[in-house]
Amino acid sequence: MTGSYTIAAACAPVLVVLLEVTVLRTGVLRRGRFWLTTAITLGFQVPVDGWLSKLSAPIVSYQARASSGVRWPWDIPVEDFGFGLAMIAFTLMLWERARLDSRDPGGRYGQAAGD
Amino acid sequence: MDKWQYLGLLGLCVTVTLPLEIIGGGRVYRRPKALLTTLAPVVVLFGGWDLLAVRHGEWQYSRRYTLGWWPLGLPVEEWLFFLVVPICAMLTYEVLARGRRRP
Repeated sequence: MTGSYTIAAACAPVLVVLLEVTVLRTGVLRRGRFWLTTAITLGFQVPVDGWLSKLSAPIVSYQARASSGVRWPWDIPVEDFGFGLAMIAFTLMLWERARLDSRDPGGRYGQAAGD
Repeated sequence: MDKWQYLGLLGLCVTVTLPLEIIGGGRVYRRPKALLTTLAPVVVLFGGWDLLAVRHGEWQYSRRYTLGWWPLGLPVEEWLFFLVVPICAMLTYEVLARGRRRP
């Protein structure tokens, strides 16, 4: 079963990758450090989101109709990992973009050769 | 004490990752301009997604476990989430770079 959150959570990481490839163009997708950071952060999502979404005392509760109903590990809706992945990837892309721009005050590619 | 739960969880995230900035050599808090240009779009896009989802009833936040201040219809803790979690990720990313650069 899929709901609106299922669809949004599946599309968001794809849209973020498209944004990187077409607009941000930081090259982070080719970096091991980007993927390692993403993996570590999603790893920490388990205890944090697990606490937020636990059915016994939920800080956030989800409407059954909007999601797939698959909740793992613990009571975390699997869709949350799509949200998390998209947010973390987008964050790291913007952070890398800011770093590149600060090294390159004359324009996006102006000093690339001298770097 | 219940109403401090969500804020406490965020505080824990900040506390656990703060050493990455102080002793790990990750420079994130010390680059406020880069921090702001990164966080602003994250808050707008993902906070916006969150707002829409709450308006459509996809999920909702507990009044019992939050402080009770709801700017724009989300608990203040949820807005802070969009600052705290990205900072945790940026610190991890920076510290991994430092480790690699060392001989």
